Amino acid sequence: MNLCLVSRSVFLVLTFACTLVVPARAADEPGNKTKEQGTRAAEPFRPEPGKFPPLDKAHAYRGELVFVDHANRRGSLRVQGSGVFRRNDPNPFALLPYGMVRYHGAPADLRDIPLGTVMHVLAFLPPDPKTSPVPVLPVNSKEIDASHYRGVGIFPAENHVLLLEDEPSHCQRLGLIWKLHTVEVKEQEGMITSTRMPKQGGNPKPSVETMTFDASTRFWRGREVLNLDDLTAEGTWPTAGKKALGDQTVLLGITWKPTPEGVFTRFHVSDLWFDDASIQRAGKIQAETHKAFIRSRWMPAWVDSVEYGKFGRATVTATLFGGMDESLYADFKKDVPAMMNAAENTLKHAGGHYGPAQLASNGSLTGVTRAAADLLSGGSGIQIRFETDLIIEGLRPGRVVRLRPANWPLVEPPREEYLGFYFSAEDRFPKPDIFPPKRDPY
Amino acid sequence: MFLIPRPLFLVVVGSLVVSFHAASEEPRTKDPEPGTGPFRPEPGKFPPFEKAHAYRGELVFVDHVNRRGSLRVAGGSEVFFQHNPQPFAMLPYGIVRYHGAPADLRNIPLGTLLHVRAFLPPDPKNSAVPVVEKPSVEQPAENHVLLLEDEPSHCLREGMIWKLKEVDLHRNETKIIATLEPKAGGNGKPAEQTLTLDDGTRIWRGRECLAPADLVADGTWPTEGKKSLGGQSVQLGLGWLPAGTWENRVENQFHITDLWMDGTAMQRCASRQTGLHASFIRTRLMPAWVDAVEYGQFGRATVTATLFGGMDASLYADFKKGEQGVMAAAENTLKPWSSIVSSSHIASKGSILDVMREDAEPPFGSSGIQIRFETDLIIEGIRPGRIVRVRPASWPHVAAPREEYLIDHRTGLDDRFPTPAIFPRY
Repeated sequence: MNLCLVSRSVFLVLTFACTLVVPARAADEPGNKTKEQGTRAAEPFRPEPGKFPPLDKAHAYRGELVFVDHANRRGSLRVQGSGVFRRNDPNPFALLPYGMVRYHGAPADLRDIPLGTVMHVLAFLPPDPKTSPVPVLPVNSKEIDASHYRGVGIFPAENHVLLLEDEPSHCQRLGLIWKLHTVEVKEQEGMITSTRMPKQGGNPKPSVETMTFDASTRFWRGREVLNLDDLTAEGTWPTAGKKALGDQTVLLGITWKPTPEGVFTRFHVSDLWFDDASIQRAGKIQAETHKAFIRSRWMPAWVDSVEYGKFGRATVTATLFGGMDESLYADFKKDVPAMMNAAENTLKHAGGHYGPAQLASNGSLTGVTRAAADLLSGGSGIQIRFETDLIIEGLRPGRVVRLRPANWPLVEPPREEYLGFYFSAEDRFPKPDIFPPKRDPY
Repeated sequence: MFLIPRPLFLVVVGSLVVSFHAASEEPRTKDPEPGTGPFRPEPGKFPPFEKAHAYRGELVFVDHVNRRGSLRVAGGSEVFFQHNPQPFAMLPYGIVRYHGAPADLRNIPLGTLLHVRAFLPPDPKNSAVPVVEKPSVEQPAENHVLLLEDEPSHCLREGMIWKLKEVDLHRNETKIIATLEPKAGGNGKPAEQTLTLDDGTRIWRGRECLAPADLVADGTWPTEGKKSLGGQSVQLGLGWLPAGTWENRVENQFHITDLWMDGTAMQRCASRQTGLHASFIRTRLMPAWVDAVEYGQFGRATVTATLFGGMDASLYADFKKGEQGVMAAAENTLKPWSSIVSSSHIASKGSILDVMREDAEPPFGSSGIQIRFETDLIIEGIRPGRIVRVRPASWPHVAAPREEYLIDHRTGLDDRFPTPAIFPRY
């Protein structure tokens, strides 16, 4: 079964094969063979301004998405540790400006991820603790036992996220699949035993994981969305009792729901994709949703340098952030008219009374250069040169900007996604106050 | 097509059903007349549905553990993108519906267009969201919500249906012209509405989940350009995408996120959501409020409580005379008080002496079901007017996640009565 091939269109960071060094499949990229959850970087790493951090310095963990403040690109995760999962306070996180979200194997925004989804994380220490929008923890926080059967690792100080991805995205990126061993059904719910392993084989000691499912679990097969009743009616799964599934290869969407007291951690299957076609269709819908999102919010980038001219004229060199669908990057072409607007680390636009489009600097793309880029580098490998006659304070080296090539629709984002004419320091640098304090011990 | 599946809407099963019929049959649940004055619910009484202020808006923010969030309210000015998100809080007995089934706030995707029935804050001093002093269409003072429902839930309840008139496919933008009409027909000519869709739109047909490209491929829709759709009856899930600017206004144009082409497709989504919510309630316990307490001796008492409405019938059916159960004190956010083990651990154990079902139609928010529960551990939190959560013994004994309960002296006032401080000011 040719399951879980990574869609080229979803994973290619750059276009034009003749000019690119592009991963044929992300899972084949050495740089993408990142650590599994629970793997710890030797030393906590703090990203430096103006540099995409090295991937091998990231701390990897996973957790349940519990809260989202998408307008400020932050939220909370209940991080999996070694103890009783339900007791773990949600741990706040913030996406780095170039941090990426992936859902169903495609680019996504935080707003696209359903609460309750178990996400895989690659994260670093806050680049600037003074302006962190989430609480700053001791750098060794992940090594501290949180006590009361919660264990270590549930409050990592590495809460500034480079990559946040759901289970199928994680498996596709790393070339993993789930093999189903047994299913046991009882009164419209049940349990499966399964193992996550490399698609090509080679994991000498894969561990068997038990997960629950119920009447709300979606089973995707080609164009069909089935429920448990459908599977039992056609005899694929038993109405009651246990059945061996012969190591059937699938992808799983994973969530969590409360477990009986004696069970420390057991996850729940929200979605199960039986074949390539079904996961590719899910990825396609998500990719299209994200493309429409980026076209209306503009491409994020940061400014590498500015060559100043006269009377407000300047040429800005900027690197586009990574992780988008390749068709979006393809719209950045030499000599195309464009707009560039100042933005914050939250990717919020600067704005005026009438919205960002009114305030942005007009100009044109005078150059587009493409270099090899790893999917997870944070950057796309694409640098653009943008000439404008309205160079402003927000378009300085190191600052985040958003760009719109002229063929993208000229629309205004919603009010909470840009700074108004009157804004405070807190609008630019959200405080962590929104997150409830941890109350010792739980 | 689009008959409302009775199991999804019946609040109570069996021959003694006091039902919450398909709302299309319910004159009570029709929209109130415009101009209904602001109404402040009284403690201990379910407010009359017809006094609720009706509006709709895009879900922009969710704090599900405190049952509150923000909506960008539609109407008023033409520039929807500039409408500040307006905080709202669910009333303790407030009902959420998604895909025509019971739901929790956590189930609603951000960006969904929701219909609202809401009141003034019952107790402004303890409001979990800012109290609006200068209301407007975009900023209603009625921000305490009795009913929050997505477009298909609204249409199913109101007996409405979308009729597709024309699709106009273009590379950059696809539009559909449709009318919203009573399913049973009626007088008058409903206004045509223009809605957008794109390749991220999900089209549900029977067991299939399709993309617009699938309909193009099978010839249902044209490759490009216009095609009459002949008034095809469907249900729509709506959201909003940025459209227009200050100078180029497109009014409040909404976006089709989901399109259900037949009743089977809608029922399958509703069935899934029903299962999801039933599982949620079984693990978080049934919310109710205390009507009366008859005190006995040595901590013994009999508590009469009304179960809140809007759940799947199967949940209410589990409350049976003679069944054992537990009752936990809770707050207006429905957060129960708990121990380190679980809410059931410190909850008062006892037995259900009686289950009484109203013959008359219950007010919205109520199930119409009262239970009498005898316990030998009557506590401060189980007093008349207080919120409780109840679990019949047949439900699983599990513990809620950390953010969903309150615990002994470590709980601060802000935990019991969340302040509006988390909401930004624009």
